[in-house]
Amino acid sequence: MSKVYTNPMKPELATVRGVRDLATGIKLLQVTLDDAAAMTRFVYEPGQFAEVSAFGVGESPFGIASTTARSEVIEFAVNRVGTVTQALHRLDVGDKVGVRGPLGNGFPLDEFKGRNVVVLGGGIGGAPLRPVIQSILDNRGDYGKLSIFWSARNPDLMVFTDEYEEWRQSPDTELHLTVDNATPGWEHSEGLITTLVEGVAPSADSAVTITCGPPIMIKFAMLSLQKLGFASAQNWVTLEAKMKCGIGKCGRCNLGDQFICLDGPVFRFDRVEQLLESFV
Amino acid sequence: MRVLTQSQLNEWLDDLATRLRLVAPVDVQGRLLYRPVRDHEAIAWGYERSDMSPKTWTFPATEAIVTIEQGSETQINDAPPPDPTVIFGVRPCDARAALAIDALFLEKEPRDGRYAELRDATTLIGLACPEMWDSCFCTVVGGLPNGTDGLDMLLTELEGREHGQSYAVQVLSAKGERLLAGVTVQDRDVALPEPKLTEGLPTLSPSSEWKAAFDDVYWQRLGDRCLACRACTFVCPTCRCFDVRDEVASRRPGHTVFERLRAWDACTSAPYRRIAGGHNPRPTPQSRLRNRFYCKFMYYPDDFGPLGCVGCGRCIDTCPVSIDILEVISDVARLAARESAEVRA
Amino acid sequence: MSSQQEQIREAARAYLEGGVVSVVIGYEHGPKGQVRPAFVYEAGDVDRLIWSRECNQNLTTYLHSFKHSPRRGAPVPRVAVVVRACDARAVNLLLHEQQIERDNIKVIGVVCGDREARGQERQACRYCQEREPVIYDTLVEPEAPVKLSETPDDYADILEMEEWAPQERLAYWLTEFDRCIRCYACRQACPGCYCFECVAEQVDPHWSSIAVELPEKFFFHVMRAFHLAGRCVGCDACEAVCPMDIPLSKLNRKLAKEVEDLFGYRTGDDPAALPPLATFNPEERLPL
Repeated sequence: MSKVYTNPMKPELATVRGVRDLATGIKLLQVTLDDAAAMTRFVYEPGQFAEVSAFGVGESPFGIASTTARSEVIEFAVNRVGTVTQALHRLDVGDKVGVRGPLGNGFPLDEFKGRNVVVLGGGIGGAPLRPVIQSILDNRGDYGKLSIFWSARNPDLMVFTDEYEEWRQSPDTELHLTVDNATPGWEHSEGLITTLVEGVAPSADSAVTITCGPPIMIKFAMLSLQKLGFASAQNWVTLEAKMKCGIGKCGRCNLGDQFICLDGPVFRFDRVEQLLESFV
Repeated sequence: MRVLTQSQLNEWLDDLATRLRLVAPVDVQGRLLYRPVRDHEAIAWGYERSDMSPKTWTFPATEAIVTIEQGSETQINDAPPPDPTVIFGVRPCDARAALAIDALFLEKEPRDGRYAELRDATTLIGLACPEMWDSCFCTVVGGLPNGTDGLDMLLTELEGREHGQSYAVQVLSAKGERLLAGVTVQDRDVALPEPKLTEGLPTLSPSSEWKAAFDDVYWQRLGDRCLACRACTFVCPTCRCFDVRDEVASRRPGHTVFERLRAWDACTSAPYRRIAGGHNPRPTPQSRLRNRFYCKFMYYPDDFGPLGCVGCGRCIDTCPVSIDILEVISDVARLAARESAEVRA
Repeated sequence: MSSQQEQIREAARAYLEGGVVSVVIGYEHGPKGQVRPAFVYEAGDVDRLIWSRECNQNLTTYLHSFKHSPRRGAPVPRVAVVVRACDARAVNLLLHEQQIERDNIKVIGVVCGDREARGQERQACRYCQEREPVIYDTLVEPEAPVKLSETPDDYADILEMEEWAPQERLAYWLTEFDRCIRCYACRQACPGCYCFECVAEQVDPHWSSIAVELPEKFFFHVMRAFHLAGRCVGCDACEAVCPMDIPLSKLNRKLAKEVEDLFGYRTGDDPAALPPLATFNPEERLPL
């Protein structure tokens, strides 16, 4: 009898179910896996990612932007920055892509129960945070106060704008928006997210924070949170790396002895501080 | 003890070469490389250590891991199964290196099926080293010149041969036993010769001492002269970092076949760790060189078990600017001793 | 006349003590006696610097490590570098191409005799026309006069190759590139190769596959040779660092010969002469 060799680098064939604009240069891609059994097995948590293939162009990692509770399709926010994302932007309903996942670890939402949650999202970093917010809203009674800080370089780059109203309407939930550079008609703050957070000064009591964005934003966000009295063990971040295999084999995404694709991308910040190497 | 004479060995190798792919050390324009051979005569007998390890035969420098066909439909296929291969003349250090890579690709989840398939199709026949050569230091990292780890069979050249060279044969696995089936061997009462070991080699510091030395300015100074090439990584039998890219295999109107290629890469090179947007957490050759040593002696063993170095010494011979891993091992021990002296003081 | 080694140490000491440079790049002996590049930051360490027949690696490639400001607001570091005649021409190349500022470097130019690479005499020394570096801030004189080569480079080995039929030449190079491992040591050792993103590694545009196979290796070496046409100074660092002993200098010398024939130009000889392939001259008329 021949042995079965499972190739973890082999993508599942998937079909595009929807494509819509989220912001300038950012689209929401919705897919389902063609194999029904594989689709059923594709159970993911907020914070996890998948490797999406634009066939013939390449494969890139994307944070999963949906929740299984709310969506029958798997959603990815795709920022057009290179060849793969460019190819994904050109796709239409019915086109084929490849998906490998879910990969990495998710946010420990169970640990957050009973606590106040502070969310900091910078630019495309908002994509993996949206399912966190949705999960909290769908189980509102399990969590304390929800403070969302949402930012982008300018108003055209803000993501999930059509969901802000739902977030604001949720009990004991605040939404704070800011952009680095405002344009006429922008009614909210202008300035860095860290300035906004320090201004609002959410309480560190019985709270956890979740930050997602470019490495430099995470660095300064952690400093701000520290100023506000948050201990590193209260802060959770998602780290970014040029992940290739996504399964901890190719060695590319290591930060000290941790692999961002396998031990992360979600890390509690005190763990990040203990790493020999700096993430930024 | 089973013993093969040289002519029995030659005959056996010739036969193997007709039935499957036989790989052995070959002189290629003055460099010793593991290449497929058609018969025993192509082998560079009497070699010491090869310039490139046989790593590419268990972990290929270039490999298609998946093929994607785009026509009226899209199909994702496994790459074709590997050819059964026997690698002859594997040094014990290189066999331990294959085990080190196994720890990550086979034992750590998720298991890499493609790698497993290739490993299963490959048999390793070792040749014990009679001595440790100039830059060898296998004993520093837990190996021996006549070690059996990771081999399916180990041949040892016997001393006092009156009728030409002969080899003691130790069969170490079922694969090795199957390969030897039907081959004429002698049964002789022989003692295996002890290899000559190099003395005065440094002691490898434990992971905790490496951790303590991470921020020392030593690494800045060491990395000053690093050229950020990939030579040390590519000659190393244990290094396994790879790049993945989709490449066109064939194209005709309405039908294109892509191969998803896996190819060797190195953490020492500048673009390796650059992320989307251009940011690079290891922007200097110093930080990358330090990462490579720490991966070998701290991260890899902490994460997967075995050390990421088997003491083959190829990197020492290859580095164009004389960055010497054995020197680094000594220096880290020195840094650790100095640190504990300071703590005691 | 003090030895060249002494003169190098003296120059390094003066530069470091005077705060003229923050680092002197030269050569030193490792613990096993092997010659390797040295980076001396303190005047008290200059005795690490040595000079011998084995001081062969082109150190000007390290100028690229120091040409940027290390962090916002900090000045570009000033460095001193020990150069031989061939290396000095690379300094001129980098100055032409505006990679370094003349004010940021101190050139310790050594009048050198034949060098050794891997225990053998360097071929490039046989053709060396200068012996004395064309650019220097400190000149390190030899103890005894150094003999200049009697004849200029006649490219005899290249002419011989030009006699071969194209298929023979291709077969020769395919044999040589077969054992290339695509480690890029040649590129990294070369002072003329300093692109942020090498063509061989670019994803977009996608010039070359990542495969470590003959077509890609052929592409890499031929492409690199062409990118160095009119820029290569013949230091042969590429050949010296190659782990597989591939005779890369033959490629570079072939193209250097072409440039010399077409433009009468030899890289870095004359500080005022501009590299022909990097210069747009409206009056230029080439015989075609």
